[in-house]
Amino acid sequence: MAKVELVNVSKRYGEVEVVRNIDLEIEDNEFIVLVGPSGCGKSTVLRMIAGLEPISGGDIRIGERVVNNVSPKSRNVAMVFQNYALYPHMTVRENMGFSLKMSKKSKSEIDERVTAAAEVLELDTLLERKPSELSGGQRQRVAMGRAIVRKPDVFLFDEPLSNLDAQLRTQMRMELKKLHMKLATTTIYVTHDQIEAMTLANRIVILKDGFIQQVGTPVEVFEKPANVFVAQFIGNPPMNILKGIFKTEEGRPVVQVGSSVFPLPNGQGSSLQSGAQVLVGIRPDAIKMGRSTERLPKEWLCQGEVIVSEILGGQSLLEIVIDGENKLIAEVEGRVIAQPGETVPIGFEFDRMVLFDPETTNALS
Amino acid sequence: MSKTLAKLLFALAAIVVLGAMPVQAASNLSGELEIFSWWAGDEGPALEALIDIYKKENPNVKVLNATVTGGSGVNAKAVLKTRMLGGNPPDSFQVHAGQELIGTWVKADRMEDLTPLFKEQGWMKVFPEGLIKNIGTDKGIWSVPVNIHRSNVLWYIPANLKKWGVEAPKTWDEFFAIAPKLKKQGIVPLALAQNWTANHLWESVALAALGPDKWDALWSGKLAFDSPEAVKAWELFGKILEYTNADASSLSWQQATDMVVDGRAAFNIMGDWAAGYMSTTKKLAPGSGFGWMASPGTGGAFMFLADSFGLPKGAPHRDNAIAWLTLLGSKEGSDAFNPLKGSISARTDSDLSKYNDYAKSASADFAKDRIVGSLAHGVTANETFMGDFATVMEMFLKTRNAAAAGKMAQQIAVKSGIGK
Amino acid sequence: MREVSRDRIKAFLTLLPSIILIAVFVYGFIGNTVWISMTDWGGVASLAENPQKNFVGLQNYVELFTGFLDARFRQDLVNAVYYSVLLLAGAVGLGMFIAILLDRKPRGEDFLRTVFLYPMSLSFIVTGTIWRWLLAPQGGVNIVPTFFGGEKLTFQWLSSKQALLLFNWQHLLPVLLYVVAFVLIIIGLFTLKGDTPKALKRYLLPGLGLGACVWLFGDLLPQIYFMEEMHGFNLATLGIILATIWQYSGYTMALYLAGFNGISQDLMDAARLDGASDWGYYRHVAIPMLKPITISAVIILSHISLKMFDLIFAMTGPDNAETGHPALNMYLTTFRANEFSKGAAIAIVLFLLAAMFIVPYLVSSYRQRRARS
Repeated sequence: MAKVELVNVSKRYGEVEVVRNIDLEIEDNEFIVLVGPSGCGKSTVLRMIAGLEPISGGDIRIGERVVNNVSPKSRNVAMVFQNYALYPHMTVRENMGFSLKMSKKSKSEIDERVTAAAEVLELDTLLERKPSELSGGQRQRVAMGRAIVRKPDVFLFDEPLSNLDAQLRTQMRMELKKLHMKLATTTIYVTHDQIEAMTLANRIVILKDGFIQQVGTPVEVFEKPANVFVAQFIGNPPMNILKGIFKTEEGRPVVQVGSSVFPLPNGQGSSLQSGAQVLVGIRPDAIKMGRSTERLPKEWLCQGEVIVSEILGGQSLLEIVIDGENKLIAEVEGRVIAQPGETVPIGFEFDRMVLFDPETTNALS
Repeated sequence: MSKTLAKLLFALAAIVVLGAMPVQAASNLSGELEIFSWWAGDEGPALEALIDIYKKENPNVKVLNATVTGGSGVNAKAVLKTRMLGGNPPDSFQVHAGQELIGTWVKADRMEDLTPLFKEQGWMKVFPEGLIKNIGTDKGIWSVPVNIHRSNVLWYIPANLKKWGVEAPKTWDEFFAIAPKLKKQGIVPLALAQNWTANHLWESVALAALGPDKWDALWSGKLAFDSPEAVKAWELFGKILEYTNADASSLSWQQATDMVVDGRAAFNIMGDWAAGYMSTTKKLAPGSGFGWMASPGTGGAFMFLADSFGLPKGAPHRDNAIAWLTLLGSKEGSDAFNPLKGSISARTDSDLSKYNDYAKSASADFAKDRIVGSLAHGVTANETFMGDFATVMEMFLKTRNAAAAGKMAQQIAVKSGIGK
Repeated sequence: MREVSRDRIKAFLTLLPSIILIAVFVYGFIGNTVWISMTDWGGVASLAENPQKNFVGLQNYVELFTGFLDARFRQDLVNAVYYSVLLLAGAVGLGMFIAILLDRKPRGEDFLRTVFLYPMSLSFIVTGTIWRWLLAPQGGVNIVPTFFGGEKLTFQWLSSKQALLLFNWQHLLPVLLYVVAFVLIIIGLFTLKGDTPKALKRYLLPGLGLGACVWLFGDLLPQIYFMEEMHGFNLATLGIILATIWQYSGYTMALYLAGFNGISQDLMDAARLDGASDWGYYRHVAIPMLKPITISAVIILSHISLKMFDLIFAMTGPDNAETGHPALNMYLTTFRANEFSKGAAIAIVLFLLAAMFIVPYLVSSYRQRRARS
């Protein structure tokens, strides 16, 4: 159990800089998820923490110790790989006990710890099998078992669930969460799947092109994305981004999207000049239809034309055009049956709206 | 009347003969002739020279020169054997004259008797009697010898001997007198190479120990290999080995000759192909640059080996093959071949002006010396004996036990039917 | 159902030509060789158009192993064992070592890989000639120390008459039993750590017991041969073994290197995180994972060592008993000495030796395949 601290860490391969000046403080026992599109540098950050990649600049601290030049085996971190990386010629027992054997632990201690970990992961009956005789989920558990047995200071997960089918993935995700609660060990988890990020993390770190875009709790990054990239990366379907103009009408700040004018809730856009171009971000689930529009202020309502609608069990997804030009995706409760071309009344939860600067794409306060 | 008739008949016959003559000279033979040999590389040109003459004489015959190289004929012999067993004999094939031919092919009734050809060509007179005895049996003559090599030759560099103050030994006793002296100066008295050269040395030593008559008796089965005389030959051989180089089995015969040429060794006993090596490759003049004499104790005896060609039964182009054999035995053929091969002709009437100094001296010896056959090169013993003799030699080189070697040799002689 | 049987017939018909060809030209000829080895075909008139072949049972084999004149074959057999063992140890060991070095991705790895693999593309005749020169007593390897100011070596690589580990052929049975006992004890010592009772019961005690019995009562065993005949490890074979290792270690290197490259980076990283040193990674992870490669290398090399012919022919010639090999002996016996039946017997002995290596492998891979499906 330990804090992990990255100070101004960077990584270059020749001329190419894949991780740029990252600062990150990970608290003891925290479950932190690094998320981003492929090539964003998230796996590199993880491998640098593990010591598998040397760092090109900055400092990494685990606990109080600077580990820049400490070999992987001496960092006391354990890693679970995307393809599990089990030793195919060893039984489950040997796989799990390998690190203990390498650190010259006594046979009885190895046995004891492997058995304990196997119980936690319900692997007791599989201990004498070879990895080739296990299912994907079982292999995944063995890989975790191998990490647990070591009692490391930090767990590192590199997209551990992406080789599993959807159902198993959901199940394993839960188990991971429970496991973290039970073991209470600092965990750094890399994924490109924003659902995993949202469900598992205490805090999410969103990376793009080697830069940290935002660090925050799942709710923070969902509701208050720091820029358009985060807004569209987190959440599925992604946040709607509309072009608008900021104005002050009758002393009140408003934003004009197409021909509709919406008043802004208290204080938003206070730093802007009247007539400034803005991007208006609105989550699909902040768009309401039917009866749930009744709770919204009248100014937040307008008419939209349905292009297509899909029913996903308990909710519906609709593509709607307002003012004849701005397309929106709406995710609404219940089964909405709407014909294409039909005009329907819709409402926006404008208090959940985010304004972005069209130049920098950063959020405006 | 009858006289006139006889005259007429004679004239007719003369016309026929005369008419036939040019036909024979330009030859109406056609088809193919396949010659099987292991002569490539250095010996290739000599064979080519023969083939050229044959082609001139028989323009319609297509000559297939099938050579299988390597291993001093070991590979070629293996290929030949599989071909013969498969019923696909070549028209004529190279074989060491003597028991190597007789023991393997004549005993198996695979060869045609060439006595009629020998008589027709008058070869009975031009080949030495001792040679014909060795290439024939009481049932016939089985091959035409193309060349003659001498096995029992001692080679040295006269200038070196002078420097060291020794003379070439005429007997082994003389050798034993000077050998320690040479050894003290750090010179190997007698250069030896890999194992077949040990066999080669052995036959010269045994010939010296036994003399030509008993040597012949050994191979006719009249003298046993474990008789006291034969065992003495092994003892003498063992004594001589004391004065040879220890790394012998890793050297080729050329490297052993090199030791003599470079002055690291004093003498070498090798067949007379060494003369060709020293004059052509090492550019030494015969006589002044390098010297030779009969190996110690064998003066007056000419231990020969010969390459020869035979006529297998069932040869696909028998007539073409006979024309080939006729050419090989002819003066023209043998004098075209041998100067290039570095050997001498089996004929006693060859044109010596075409040969080099060594060959001239060897030819002179061949005409007057007692002719005996070589063991190491297949004249006196069949291949079964030869195969096992290599084992006996190995055993002797390892243990130096003369009595055991004699006993073992006698066993294999009985087993392989020597003298039968 | 009808579909299936028709498919079967089609498959069978497609395979039929090769089944027939293999049956005739492989197994038929093996059978024929077995038959010839039990006749007396050889000696005078063996090359007649219809040579006499009389059935003599196992006489040729008995002669090979106990006959007075076949001492050379026995030494060749002993040589073949040492050729196999040392070639395996040398080529696998050296190949693995080079592969590990190259797996560390040194500068110029591509180039070095080609350099090490290159000897394999040479013919044995070329290799043999080169090494014969290198190992000549007066030059080559022997003068290497002089470049470092040392004394010239005088070892006669190819012509040494020295031999180590001499044993008397007369005592073949006790010697073989000692070897068995020794192997049992060694296996026992290795498994002692893992499974102590099994190691004791299965290997150590029987091994020790057998050794003690032979030591005490070995004299009672029948003597296989009527007189003393010493065989051993001829030092002259070292040169040939060296050349073979030189030629084939590149091959095993390529096998291992391909294997190492096939191991995923993740597995290597996992081992590093698990605390394995570089050596530990190879010792515990990479090399055990490549067991199939090791097995195939062992099989390929062992059958090469049993067919060794051209290299010996090129390096020491056909008649050098010190470095002899049954394959060479078979050729000379058959085609030079015309002892066809004995040659066939030697061929069959070699065939059985090769089968000793290959059959267990085939059986185990067949079992594995069955277990998997």
